[in-house]
Amino acid sequence: MAKINWFGLAGGAMTLLVIVVSLFYPWWQLTVGDDLIKINASPVNTNFGFLDTSFTIPFIWALNVIGLLTLLLSGVAMLIYSIVPAKSFAKPLLDFGYKKPLFTFLFFVIGLVVVTVILRSVLSINLPLMGTATSTISIPFASGVTLSVLLSAGFQWSFWLAAVAAGLCIAARLYHKKVAAVPRV
Amino acid sequence: MDKIRLLLTVITVVIVVVPLVGALLAYQNNLLGLFVPPEITQIADDLMGGDGDNGSGLEPPTMVGEPQYNATAHTFAATFEFKNSFPVDITVKSLTGNIECEAHRFPLGNASLSEPVSIDAGETGTMTVLGKWTDEGIDHLASAHGNEENVDVVLVDFAVDISGIQIQLDQSQMEQTMQVPNPAYQG
Repeated sequence: MAKINWFGLAGGAMTLLVIVVSLFYPWWQLTVGDDLIKINASPVNTNFGFLDTSFTIPFIWALNVIGLLTLLLSGVAMLIYSIVPAKSFAKPLLDFGYKKPLFTFLFFVIGLVVVTVILRSVLSINLPLMGTATSTISIPFASGVTLSVLLSAGFQWSFWLAAVAAGLCIAARLYHKKVAAVPRV
Repeated sequence: MDKIRLLLTVITVVIVVVPLVGALLAYQNNLLGLFVPPEITQIADDLMGGDGDNGSGLEPPTMVGEPQYNATAHTFAATFEFKNSFPVDITVKSLTGNIECEAHRFPLGNASLSEPVSIDAGETGTMTVLGKWTDEGIDHLASAHGNEENVDVVLVDFAVDISGIQIQLDQSQMEQTMQVPNPAYQG
C-alpha cells in the first residue's frame, strides 16, 4: 500500500481552505470609532472601509495577489507531494510547498508590527495589534481641536486557521523522513 | 529532479514579479495612486473642505430660543442647532462642557447632552443641552450677580462624542455665550 504523508495532505488541504476563508474573513481587523473606519487585512485580501465606502490600495492588492498565488501553489504542491511522497519529484514539491504558509504567516505578522511601529513613531498614532487603545490626534488645520479615537483590533479565527495550516506543513516536512525512508535490505 | 526545482523556482519568481510589475505599469503615470487610491483623496477632500469655520467640516452649534430654567432642581435646558457639514451621517452620542461666568470666568456648573442625536449628512439637528449649577456657582452668582435677573455665561471646554470619535475643543476654538436666568437673583 502506497504511503501517504497525512500531515502534508492535511496541510495542503488546510492551506487551500485558508485561501477561500481569507477571501471572506480577514486575519486581522481594526475598527475605528463606532465602525466609522474598518480595516480588514489578510495576505490574500485587504480592504479598507469608511462608512459605506470600501476600497483597496493598489500596491497592497498586488501583494495580496502574490500571497494568494503563493498559498495556492503551495497547497497544490503539498497535496501532490502527500499522495506520492516517495516519488523522485516529491521532495522538490515538499521543499517548495511546506515553507510558504509559514513565511506568509510570518510576513503578515511582521508587516503588521512594522506598520504599527511606523504609525506610532512617525504619526504618534497608538495602533493596537490586539485589544483596544485610545489614540489622540491633533488636527493640523484646526488648532485647538483634539480628536480622541477608540481603536479596536484583533486577530480573527482565520488567522489561527492559517497558523494551524503552517504548523501542519512543517509537521509534514518532519514526517517526510518516515514516509520516504528507504527500507533497509 | 533539478528540472522540477528549477521550474518551481521560476514559478516563484513569476508570481512575485508579475503582480508587482503589472501594478507598476498600470500606475506608471501616477505612482502616488499606487499607494493612495482616489477614494482616500475624495474622503480627505470631503472632510477637510467642509463648510465649517475652520475648514474642518465642524461648525459651532448655535443656540435657538431661550434656556428653560428649573428653579427647584437648579438646572436649565438650552436648545442648540448643529449642522452636520461632514459628508457622512453622524450620531452625536454625548456632549459635555463647563459653564463659566462670562464676567469673572468663575466655574458655575457643567452641561451635558440630554440624549444622543443622529444627523444626516448636510442636515441640521437639534440638541438639548442640560446645565446644572454647582453650589459654588450659585454662591458666586449670589455674591457677584445677586442684583442681576439674567447673567451672561459661557459654555467652554466642549467635548463631543461623534460616532465614537471624541472631539475636544479648547476655548480658542469654540465658546458659546448665552444669557440665562440667575438662580440666585435676589431682586
